[in-house]
Amino acid sequence: MERRSFLKGIGALPALGVLGASSVTLLAKESKPKGKNAISFKKALEVITHGKGAKESDKVHLVVPEIAENGAVVPVKVNVELPIEQVKSIHILSTKNSNARCADVFLTPRNGKAYFATRIKLGGTQEVVAVAVLKDGSAIMAKKPVKVTIGGCG
Amino acid sequence: MAKRKSIIKIKPRKYKVGDIVKVDFIVIHPMETGMRKDKKTGKIKPMHYINEVKFYFNDELFTTIIPWETVSTNPYFSINMKVTGPGVIKVVYKDNLGEVNEKSKKVKPKG
Amino acid sequence: MKKVVSLALSLALAASVAVADEKLSMSKADRAMYQEMLENNPADIFVEEGSELLDELGGEEALAKFLDQSEKSLPKYIAGFPRYIDKIGMVVAIDQMLQAFMYDQGKKPYPLKSEEMDALQAYVKSLANGEKINIDVNANEHMKKAYKLGKQMFELRRGKRGLSCYSCHAPEVVGLRLRMQILPDLGAPNVKAAATWPAYRMTKGKMFTLQKRFQQCMKNALLAKLPLGSPQMVALEVYVTDMAKGQTIHIPGLKR
Repeated sequence: MERRSFLKGIGALPALGVLGASSVTLLAKESKPKGKNAISFKKALEVITHGKGAKESDKVHLVVPEIAENGAVVPVKVNVELPIEQVKSIHILSTKNSNARCADVFLTPRNGKAYFATRIKLGGTQEVVAVAVLKDGSAIMAKKPVKVTIGGCG
Repeated sequence: MAKRKSIIKIKPRKYKVGDIVKVDFIVIHPMETGMRKDKKTGKIKPMHYINEVKFYFNDELFTTIIPWETVSTNPYFSINMKVTGPGVIKVVYKDNLGEVNEKSKKVKPKG
Repeated sequence: MKKVVSLALSLALAASVAVADEKLSMSKADRAMYQEMLENNPADIFVEEGSELLDELGGEEALAKFLDQSEKSLPKYIAGFPRYIDKIGMVVAIDQMLQAFMYDQGKKPYPLKSEEMDALQAYVKSLANGEKINIDVNANEHMKKAYKLGKQMFELRRGKRGLSCYSCHAPEVVGLRLRMQILPDLGAPNVKAAATWPAYRMTKGKMFTLQKRFQQCMKNALLAKLPLGSPQMVALEVYVTDMAKGQTIHIPGLKR
């Protein structure tokens, strides 16, 4: 009988867990980058756009889950609604991974459409950013937050 | 040199000349970040990831992807391609330890 | 002053709980995105490898002959595993049936633990894709016994924490959350556990069979692992497969 009530009690736990998690994220400071390829989001964006920066645009369609079941596999899909002749490359970045870069894709007119999809690892709850560099040298981008959760069983 | 397993899929399965198709490429690769510890030995597993994927159509390079170690294990890449006629898609991929592999798939448009 | 603070705190608490409840569960769009990933399942590569391995053994034709089936009835037959096979003399899952088959062909069977066996059995089970699970636990005495043993294993509390499969998959607790994950009802149409294994586990980056998944579950719950292919393990598979009876098979699955 005690066991039953304990099990029912589990239901109340997630609420507590969330409270803890949200306060932790509030307190957490940006951890120092580590690893060979480490580069911060700001710097990566600078390198990609040659210091010009990117403008947010609704031409870039970024599709990511709002909540990722698993940080090790987060599906990302990008569509740039511009003729392929105008798009030079697509870059996928994350704001808090120690290496902010995820993938750089260099396109040619044979692609037909500026589209790219992959799966990335996210070290925690953060934003995913898609940058499209155009032929004229300017860059447009879109960003979306992804919540990374921790599962219960293995 | 270890032979990697990989697969190329063209979607949809039936397509005509002039269609824009999806080309999906999946490869079995650990994509180690260089930050994880081996549970048995306690040593850090060295970084090991694919750092270049090139898509060729009839030996003409049409897309280059530069992935980083932040791409998931057993990576999946999907791009579009305009079908201009029959031919072969060839994907050449390299990793940071110098392994080079390739995979081909025939393109057979109907109609 | 204190009262105000505590009031504010309790308000904040209430608000965060309310917000949390909304944001915790994945939206339908998110689910759809993960569903889409099924089409680009890395495990497809392993299944393809399995098909090559079966070709080496004489292909589906030889397998059908070994099981006294025609190639046409083979998928339906496979959808009924684990089952009692007279030739082998015990209730077997697909992996042990394949071992017997390999022995029959004069080959050295792959160990149950090996990756080859995983690939091979995933391919063989994928032959039944689109079929419905038609396990018959009342087919004979042996199956009845296995089902009974499986139910017992499912409910048996073992290990330091006294946990059983039932602890997380009983009807009373199904749907509650364990950390961020909803405890699944193994027989529900949206889970249909037995119909989707062998599956690719994203957390591990590998394909696992149902029995290996049981072992991982046991390891995390501090239970002694049942050996692959042991009567208890097969019985457990019989019981769990029966839960998903009537669900359409789709191999390989994609799991968190």
